Amino acid sequence: MLETILVGAVAGGTSILYAALGETISERAGAINVGTEGTMLVGALAAAMVDIETGDPWLGALAGIVAGAALAAVFSVVTILRRGNQLATGLATLFLALGLTSLYGATYVGKDLGGFDDHKIPLLGSIPAVGKILFDHDVLCYLSYLAVPAVWWLLFRSRWGLLIRTAGERPETLLAYGVSPARVRATAVAIGGALAGLGGAQLSLALAQSWSEDMTAGRGFIAVALVIFGGWRPLRVMGGAYLFGAAITLGSVLQVHGVQVNQFFLDALPYLLTIVVLVVLVRRQRQYAPEALGQPL
Amino acid sequence: MSALGFAAGPLDGLRERATWPTARRLALRALFWIGMYAAALAIFGAFVALRHVDPFDLYKSMWTSTLTGSYGPGQVLDRAAPFILAGLAVAVPARAGLVNIGGEGQIVIGATAAGGVALAMGSSGGTVENLVVMGLAAAIAGALWAGLAGVLRLKGKVDEAISTLLLNYVGADVLSYFVYGPWKDPSGNGQPVAKPLTEHQTLPTSGLYTSHIGIYVALVLAAVVGLVLWRTKWGFSLRCVGGNREAARRAGLGVGLLMLSAMLVGGALAGVGGMLQFTALEGQLRPGLGATFGYTAFLASWLARHQPAKVVLAALLLAIIAVAGDSLQLGANLPGATVNVLTAVVLLVVLSYRRTARKAA
Repeated sequence: MLETILVGAVAGGTSILYAALGETISERAGAINVGTEGTMLVGALAAAMVDIETGDPWLGALAGIVAGAALAAVFSVVTILRRGNQLATGLATLFLALGLTSLYGATYVGKDLGGFDDHKIPLLGSIPAVGKILFDHDVLCYLSYLAVPAVWWLLFRSRWGLLIRTAGERPETLLAYGVSPARVRATAVAIGGALAGLGGAQLSLALAQSWSEDMTAGRGFIAVALVIFGGWRPLRVMGGAYLFGAAITLGSVLQVHGVQVNQFFLDALPYLLTIVVLVVLVRRQRQYAPEALGQPL
Repeated sequence: MSALGFAAGPLDGLRERATWPTARRLALRALFWIGMYAAALAIFGAFVALRHVDPFDLYKSMWTSTLTGSYGPGQVLDRAAPFILAGLAVAVPARAGLVNIGGEGQIVIGATAAGGVALAMGSSGGTVENLVVMGLAAAIAGALWAGLAGVLRLKGKVDEAISTLLLNYVGADVLSYFVYGPWKDPSGNGQPVAKPLTEHQTLPTSGLYTSHIGIYVALVLAAVVGLVLWRTKWGFSLRCVGGNREAARRAGLGVGLLMLSAMLVGGALAGVGGMLQFTALEGQLRPGLGATFGYTAFLASWLARHQPAKVVLAALLLAIIAVAGDSLQLGANLPGATVNVLTAVVLLVVLSYRRTARKAA
């Protein structure tokens, strides 16, 4: 039973992980995008549409990335170029995504798509327990294992990551250095959107293997909370994503095993858990929060 | 500002009342905004045109279905009532520098509490008794729900923007728990709905088109909120806290209590909004009741820069768009959620092009 939950945690947590990694990058650059829910949604639909039309899931994933980055670009234009408020703009882009996906997605609802099937990795997949939990998933899930260290390296070991973090802490320093903080922040937001779009693509192409309206069901909001939960650090964010994945899976697994637990309590658990963690880890939260988070440039 | 430093929005009021703009400037500004709204309509039109729907037909049917038909105006007013109240639920905390994105959950919890009271009262009591008790229950429940985020902010230093957002989902689960579980109507054909409200628990109509008296309740409360914010000591203190928390603290104001009270009042307003939606239109508790109302109202309050009178106008505008969405399904065979695009474009345009508040030095 534990194994089933852990397998589900990784499978269900992957889309959240991508979105949360993306949000980590944009928040490190000082932009909190609560529209991540919408970014995932457009990514999921774009991926499903392209997969259905072309039959190529890789093109689908690419479409998800592009669509996510495009929606994030709208957020950038309003918040960075026009200095609009980030929270309100994020929610507005969420509405944009809700509307667009229902407008263009209606004809694709429930259609079969090829998508990505689970493939066991040879050797690694045969390790008892661990193999099943980590190495028997879809290819986008494997890619996310690489994305975590990649994002970590990008943020904390590359020159460009230093620029991003500066844009989130002391944007004026960048100006003195001769780099436009607006450009750095906009790039970070776009990459964040691309990752969230890929997360959405994982949802429609691999996890559900179909498109349905509003299929993200709050995962994007979880991703936003998760970044704070994980203290703006990719590895901790990864742990958090799987925790949420587990909480999402827990209900159905327990039901199969005949354990009587209230379904709605389980549904609410991830959100309550985040609040509790925020209370407990509040000091760390203060310490790690980018100083210019949410501030216009 | 919230704990993580999100600005609650352009705040004015403490040192407002600049010189009156000239007629020429006013005209130019009006022209500019008319152009902007036209641009928003054009963008939305382009999106629907891509789905091979004639945007002009669409706008015509949206217009007739909301503003000229025999049911449209009433529906708009009914929809505006919860939007206004949930919008005020954003505006009041915003005056104290708090960001309340929890209208969604506060609406649901308000409706749930009203539903619980309705079940408990059954067929006893008259209409006034029933509705007043239900309204009070909704206000208290909404206030507690928002107050929870307030306490978390004050005692736990948890950012209220995040906690209210998370509590939205918990609120939806609380409602689901009751309608799938203890309150499930055995004669509801297996549907997860609670027992229908009795005749005495339904909101009376207002006589204004087909609308219910909820719109009056919302308008009165909006006026009260406006008066309280600008004409009472509490309102002044609240705006001081929002303007400069440290200065307010040094002036001897109970900053924590003021912030908490702003959240409680906001939550109560949203809770009543949920109760109005429930008793006027729904008649039965069901999962998804009032979904996206809270977010729409959040945007309405932003559109209105958190000023009660303008919140009413913004809520009416967004109510027109929302009700038009219901007619799209029938008229143009487009999903109703399509109008969210129009809401979003209007919002993005306004957020982009209004005169930005000067950055605090």
